Amino acid sequence: MAPRQSTPPVVLACGEIRTCLLPARQALDIRSAAQLLGLRADERVLLSERPGLYARSPDTLTGVDCPLPSANGARVRAVGTVTAHAALTEGRVLQTSAYCRMPGTGPDQRRPWGEYLVRPGVVEPLGKLPREAVAQGVLGGPRHGDLDVGLIADGLLTRVLRHPLLDQRPPFRSRPTRLRWAALPAAPGEGPSLERFTLAEDELRTVRLRVPEGTPGTELAALCDDLALHDWLLTTVVRMLDGLRLGAGAAQDAGAVVRTLRPAVDHLLHLWMPGARVGRELAALWDPLEERPGFTRQWQALVQRIRDQLTLHAIPAAHREVEPAP
Amino acid sequence: MTEPVFRETAAEPRTQSVPLAHLSVELGHLYMEDFEAGPERLRAHFAEVRPWVEAARTAATARAGGKRARISTCFLIDDYFTRFSTPADVVPMLLEEAERAGLTVDYLARESGCAVTGKVPVAEAVAARIVESPPPGSYGLRPPAAQTGWLANGERSPVARAPQAMKRAVPWQPPHETAARRHSVFLDVELWSDDADGQRLWSCPFLAAVWQLARLGLLRNEGEAVLAPRPHTAGGFPDKWDELPTLLRLNERADPFAAYRTCSVLPTRFLPVEHAVRVILDQVQVDPGALAQVADRSGKERMPVPDSVADRISYVYYSGP
Amino acid sequence: MLVFAASDKGGTGRSVTSANLAYQRALTGDHVAYVDFDFGSPTAAAVFDVPGAMRGTEELGLHSYLEGETAEPVRIDVWRQTEHPLLRARPNQSGRLVLFPGDAGGGEFATGEEALERCVDLLLKLNNEFDVTFVDLSAGRSYAVDMVLDATAHPRMRNVPFRWLVFHRWTRQHVIAASGLVHAEHGIIGGGVERGHDEDDLRSAIRFVRAAVPDPESPLWSQGSTAQATWMQACDEALRRLAAEHRIGDSVVLGIVPLEPILQWQEQLITEEDVLSTQIANKETLEALEEIARRLTDDTHWGRL
Repeated sequence: MAPRQSTPPVVLACGEIRTCLLPARQALDIRSAAQLLGLRADERVLLSERPGLYARSPDTLTGVDCPLPSANGARVRAVGTVTAHAALTEGRVLQTSAYCRMPGTGPDQRRPWGEYLVRPGVVEPLGKLPREAVAQGVLGGPRHGDLDVGLIADGLLTRVLRHPLLDQRPPFRSRPTRLRWAALPAAPGEGPSLERFTLAEDELRTVRLRVPEGTPGTELAALCDDLALHDWLLTTVVRMLDGLRLGAGAAQDAGAVVRTLRPAVDHLLHLWMPGARVGRELAALWDPLEERPGFTRQWQALVQRIRDQLTLHAIPAAHREVEPAP
Repeated sequence: MTEPVFRETAAEPRTQSVPLAHLSVELGHLYMEDFEAGPERLRAHFAEVRPWVEAARTAATARAGGKRARISTCFLIDDYFTRFSTPADVVPMLLEEAERAGLTVDYLARESGCAVTGKVPVAEAVAARIVESPPPGSYGLRPPAAQTGWLANGERSPVARAPQAMKRAVPWQPPHETAARRHSVFLDVELWSDDADGQRLWSCPFLAAVWQLARLGLLRNEGEAVLAPRPHTAGGFPDKWDELPTLLRLNERADPFAAYRTCSVLPTRFLPVEHAVRVILDQVQVDPGALAQVADRSGKERMPVPDSVADRISYVYYSGP
Repeated sequence: MLVFAASDKGGTGRSVTSANLAYQRALTGDHVAYVDFDFGSPTAAAVFDVPGAMRGTEELGLHSYLEGETAEPVRIDVWRQTEHPLLRARPNQSGRLVLFPGDAGGGEFATGEEALERCVDLLLKLNNEFDVTFVDLSAGRSYAVDMVLDATAHPRMRNVPFRWLVFHRWTRQHVIAASGLVHAEHGIIGGGVERGHDEDDLRSAIRFVRAAVPDPESPLWSQGSTAQATWMQACDEALRRLAAEHRIGDSVVLGIVPLEPILQWQEQLITEEDVLSTQIANKETLEALEEIARRLTDDTHWGRL
């Protein structure tokens, strides 16, 4: 086989992120975070302390050779590697994120494996990529046997969750979320745009983007990690408040309210910083979400509600039979 | 895009670069049995090697477009699997025999440096960078427990597993080389073994793969170069192998140790080991920063390297012991 | 909390009773998972009335998950996917009720090291997400029992609280068998100790549920003769003595589920509607289930004796 030196430009990037509460009683400090995410002996964990503690593992690669998901039933085989990393925000929220980029065309048959390894995170179609159909297929959920980057994110999450540092005593019960994303090229001369953010099933969100050619995969992944993190925060705090039987009037409810809401104050309320780790150009994609439905608006309303509830139950009420539990 | 004002060094990856020659020629390995066979064995070896080194030199010069090619030579001594003699005895004899054949050993390396150098667990780090070649049908599900300590160039025969009640056991199926053309040459390489105390012994092919990566300038630890050559200053050589630097520069005017490509001149008995080395190298994801540096500089010199790392290494085998 | 449901024999009402307990806990607002580790004869889908949701789960259930064929076992949201008309209207303020079924068509299988790790992964994940996780285990000293004994002894599970419910019917054979399952040489306690469990801790986390117990006082038997009633009383007395001799006496019983005709005919969830409006189920049965569900997390009913 003749050698080849370059790959055609990327026309589709897609990924999936799993976000969950770290199952540990105490939030991890930056050193422990580095230990947890040290997936490779020879590569440093990236650590950042501004504007909050954030640690990101080195990238890991997973080889794939399978049909691509597609909305129109086209079965295009693709070969390459999917990049994945794990990240920990404020030692509390754990994310694993897997993604790959796809060029518009690829070689007609599979190449020696070593050639794919020098293009980490690229999955090449055999032949031509029906990018629109594949983007829809990715967001709609792959059929069994089609490329499933979510499984790779899940596999990495399972690996991290097996780490002996974790005592498996989360401060409250919560549900992990999944965010799937796909980015197609923007029209020539146009900037990036967020076409759709969908809350699908209970735990699934999908994001469809347009980005200018040459937008680095790492920046796209950083944006989607950020969206997933904040969506998880909203979802989790909403569910916390849902679980309360407010105004039921029963005296023992005071303790229950404090017990339920306190973890939000201890562990979550300080994490809200949309766009903090996203490149300037892509950070602008937060704007439409802030306009409607207004992620930050909803967050602030929730925060206010939690503070009001806690204030209310902190007032020593003479008529109360039972004091809020400490 | 403008540069951000605020930076955190711990939050940004970096990769140290290493000087690079065009070609790294390996003049041989020395194992205990070679040493025990006396200086005659080495003499015969270097005599066989000499013409091939000349040939490699000519080929590299041609590739450099007739300009002077930067070529360095190296020699590897096994101090990992068996410890024998002392550097003070072995090294001068080795150098003398090389010189007798008209060869210069620029760099001398100890095999245990491919396992651990200083505090850097080199072999372990490379093992963690293995990305197994996916057989067709790999769609992202974590492969059921990889054969720990083994690496194949394809799919193994399925293991007979106790099936669920009322289900049939799967009959035998042959292994399959993923890159096979019609027929398979299936190879399963043992990367390491652990003894009863949990001590890990790296296999010869695995350390040889690490050795190739070192010669290709592709090893990094947290972005820092690994196996940097140390100059030979003192007059003689120490009495203990551990006191000898893992990579020693014997020739002050030598071209850089690491190179775009490597060539090893070896007796044919090394063929299975080197086949295994290729199987390993084909499935190691090397540091992307290091890879980019090599691609960039070789491109600027108009001496592009093959994409695949395994294709950057070459061999000359001669018949003999 | 994890709750393991075990029984020595089939036909003890283990599955249907533990499904009812899961339902009762969800009604009180807990988020509840129900995990079907009855590998040989998965029945939970029938109890929760979710046959439609089971279509196409041949390769995606717990069998496939434990064998590494799928990364996430299929989950069925009972409130949403049940075909039971009363359950579909999810009661206000109830918690989630999620069923993890086995593969449709799956069988009993030997579990290895990898399956154990995956089992631990799953149980930890569920414990982080649900208030109570019920795990229904194949009858007898099965692979399922061994696996969860191994899993709960695993270092990663050291902080996860668990309790065992052992179900048995109220007959001589069943009393002896249930005692054997727990106390025999390689029974749950012996087997647990072999795997690193502390004997006293494990013993204090095991309670018994007597199922399908005929209540001589019940109107069900009021038509019978005096001789019959006397005989039943005597039998009941004898069984109590037998149970006490076999270390499964009243002090380690978490609750008694009366003989319930509709459960004899059909394995199903008993709702308030069944008792109040259609009156096909007995009030006592529902009360017993509610009480056992409550006692599951009431520490005064657990611990060393």
